[in-house]
Amino acid sequence: MDRARVFKSILWTISGLGAAALATRFLIGLGSIANMNDAVPWGIWKGFNIFPGIALAGGGFVMTAIIYIMGREEYHKYAKVSVLLAFLGYITAATALVTELGLPWFVWHPIIYWQHHSPLFEVSWCVMLYLTVLFLEFVPVPLEETSRFTKVRKFLTKYKIVLVFLGIMISTLHQSSLGSMWLITPEKLHPLWYTQLLPILFLLSAIAIGPIMLILAILVISRIYRRKTDNQTLARLGVLSSFMVLTYGLVRLIDIGANGKFAMIFDGSWQSAIFIVEMSLMVIIPLILMGIRKLRNSSSSLWVASLSAVIGLGLDRANIAGVMLSVDGPRYTPTIFEVLVSLSIISAAILVFLFCIERFKIWDSKWEDPREDKKSRPDFDRSSEVWLGTPRLAGRTVYTLIFVISLAVGFAIIPGKRIYSGGIQKVASQKSLGGDTLFIDGNRDNYGVNFDHKAHVIRDSSCVLCHHMNQPNDKQSGCYTCHLDMYQRTDAFKHDWHANPTGANISCTECHAVDQERLASTAKACDQCHKDLIPPGATITVDKYMAPSYTDAMHFLCVDCHKQKAVELADKSNLALCATCHTSEHTDHFVDGVTDKYKHPYFNHVVLPENRPTVEGH
Amino acid sequence: MQGLLDFSAGPLFRLTFFIMVLGLARILILDIWGAVDAYRKAGDKTIDWGTATRKTIKWLIPIKSVFTHKPFYSIFSISFHVGLILVPIFLLAHVRLWETAIGFGWLSLPKTWADILTLVAIIAGAGIIIGRIASSNLRFLSRKQDYLWPLLLIIPFVTGYICSNMAVSPATYQLSKLIHILSGELIFVLIPFTKITHCVIMPLSQFIMMIAWKFPAHVDDDICTTLNKKGEPV
Repeated sequence: MDRARVFKSILWTISGLGAAALATRFLIGLGSIANMNDAVPWGIWKGFNIFPGIALAGGGFVMTAIIYIMGREEYHKYAKVSVLLAFLGYITAATALVTELGLPWFVWHPIIYWQHHSPLFEVSWCVMLYLTVLFLEFVPVPLEETSRFTKVRKFLTKYKIVLVFLGIMISTLHQSSLGSMWLITPEKLHPLWYTQLLPILFLLSAIAIGPIMLILAILVISRIYRRKTDNQTLARLGVLSSFMVLTYGLVRLIDIGANGKFAMIFDGSWQSAIFIVEMSLMVIIPLILMGIRKLRNSSSSLWVASLSAVIGLGLDRANIAGVMLSVDGPRYTPTIFEVLVSLSIISAAILVFLFCIERFKIWDSKWEDPREDKKSRPDFDRSSEVWLGTPRLAGRTVYTLIFVISLAVGFAIIPGKRIYSGGIQKVASQKSLGGDTLFIDGNRDNYGVNFDHKAHVIRDSSCVLCHHMNQPNDKQSGCYTCHLDMYQRTDAFKHDWHANPTGANISCTECHAVDQERLASTAKACDQCHKDLIPPGATITVDKYMAPSYTDAMHFLCVDCHKQKAVELADKSNLALCATCHTSEHTDHFVDGVTDKYKHPYFNHVVLPENRPTVEGH
Repeated sequence: MQGLLDFSAGPLFRLTFFIMVLGLARILILDIWGAVDAYRKAGDKTIDWGTATRKTIKWLIPIKSVFTHKPFYSIFSISFHVGLILVPIFLLAHVRLWETAIGFGWLSLPKTWADILTLVAIIAGAGIIIGRIASSNLRFLSRKQDYLWPLLLIIPFVTGYICSNMAVSPATYQLSKLIHILSGELIFVLIPFTKITHCVIMPLSQFIMMIAWKFPAHVDDDICTTLNKKGEPV
């Protein structure tokens, strides 16, 4: 059986299954297929696609540096493959990023909204720039196929060295910045992985393993398309990068030793076991196989060494970006659909890679399909014993069929509803104060949260937690009477009104002592005049005069308590998730009771009403 | 029984429905792709677009054949198609199901109309099978699937009619509903792989004939004229 066709069929199947999950994610929302939650917002797509994808694409800049700047001509035949590999690696990462961003249409924001304290700002700029550079580096290859755009192609080929320089510069910048991002997690990341040297380790490992990824890719495509590999050259490349692997391993081990964490490697915990596995895969096995002269030239040792190094690097990035982070709250296990999306992005990238290999002049000579030879026997479809046409036509027929069927299967197995968090119970709610269920709508846009008032009163009898302060001469004042702004701190005291003759008209000395500087901190507290302002037993200390924003007040009161309860009560793990309350799905009673605008959408992303009313006074 | 119903109305429905939709899209795209390929490779790129368009439109609106030849068969066929297209898409119960599933619905047929169209489709389907068997010309041209398709297409109509009008006991209702769903899903799966693909590629067929085979659009008329049978069906 034809290797390429079997391999591609498998890839098309995975792509189809994942594409269904991907479509569901973009149509219905992240919660429909993903298991990520507020405690673990970075899931498998970060640890499996984005970080390893970018690290393994490091071969692009390393190889161009070796070939064009160090002038090692013997590797020149791998230049196009390495650039293509890097390009697809970055595309994979970018696709996964867009998939897992909550609001993917804001992905361009870092270009305009600069946040120069954040490593992510630097990373996003560099990744976007480097994607452009890689595109410009690769685009002459497909352009060779047409007679058009010759000027563009010649221009790009002529100034290739500029692109090479840019690529190296940008890559070294952001490969390390990806490590800098994790400097923020000294308490979360396991000590065997956390170090101040993370940026350097990220850069070193990308430089070390990038070329090894190229070796693996060349071995794979040679096997699929039955071409002979130049083992000598590959082994020499392996030796070159094994120096970098050695450097990386030494830096890492010395750093661990210098920080006094050496004993942790052998303390028998599962983390230490994974560390040993990771280091053996990434450093020790490749070093042994590449280091011993007798072993390195055989293709099986090249296979083992490159596979183990690549898997080791993937494991390292996955560990840092997820596995080894301690999480307080519900633990995260990816759903089958997240895994499918992850795999499908990779398989789609491999398909594009194979497409480029087949169609463009990426080898030293262009690849020819042996079945295209007019003298060869026609290739019959195994299942129907029908001749499906020329190889390209047959491929078109077979792969689209496989894709369509697996896409349909994907849609069939996705439940199509939210996977986690059953949401709130449906209860009749009313808008007015004092009801059993209250509708909390701070900014008066008719989208709010159903609050089960009755249940809270019975459970806690902690009325004063929410009703911690009243307006003068009032009981159970509405939250919005002090928390005046939806998003900003506001003045609940109104100093000028108190002092103004048209307002309260009280003299300064009523509140400010005569011989003191007149500051908010030295003035009299509100409840010294307004005796009924704070109900007895209120636990929240009132910050003088300034009220937090409405959202902050709500989140502080609800979320903090719910977080605590989520840990205490086994069956209440959903309480601290935003979507538990912020669902756009309203109860039927509620629809009748309030307004006819609640013809609700069925999906869980928040949809604002068509004619959003202007909110007065906010 | 309820579990079986849920499964066939849930995952099985999604599977078969998506196979139908995506499969039809695939057929359409492959057809256009192939036609473009053929056109690109063709030495003689002259194509009589006007005649082809006119012929296609004439094909799509088959009223004329009612008055010229085989009036009964044509009437059966047309009314069968009308019922087949209108009832499943615009039946109130189906529209409500779509509303709960995807969040929006569309116009629906009044119940009386739907019932009449259902009965018409059933009778017309039976008429088509009888017509095929009765006419020796058609019998000669027919394959097995030409007899089986009208039969298969009638099943959901009969069971649907039983569900909405004649169900006497819950058992009958559930059984006919199950058969209704399952036969409908069998139809969904078979559509992209059998002659029913004409529902999407028919508007293209004239063009593809002309591009791929270089048959001039008026070739059938020419043959008829040569054979002295002008105005008769080919």
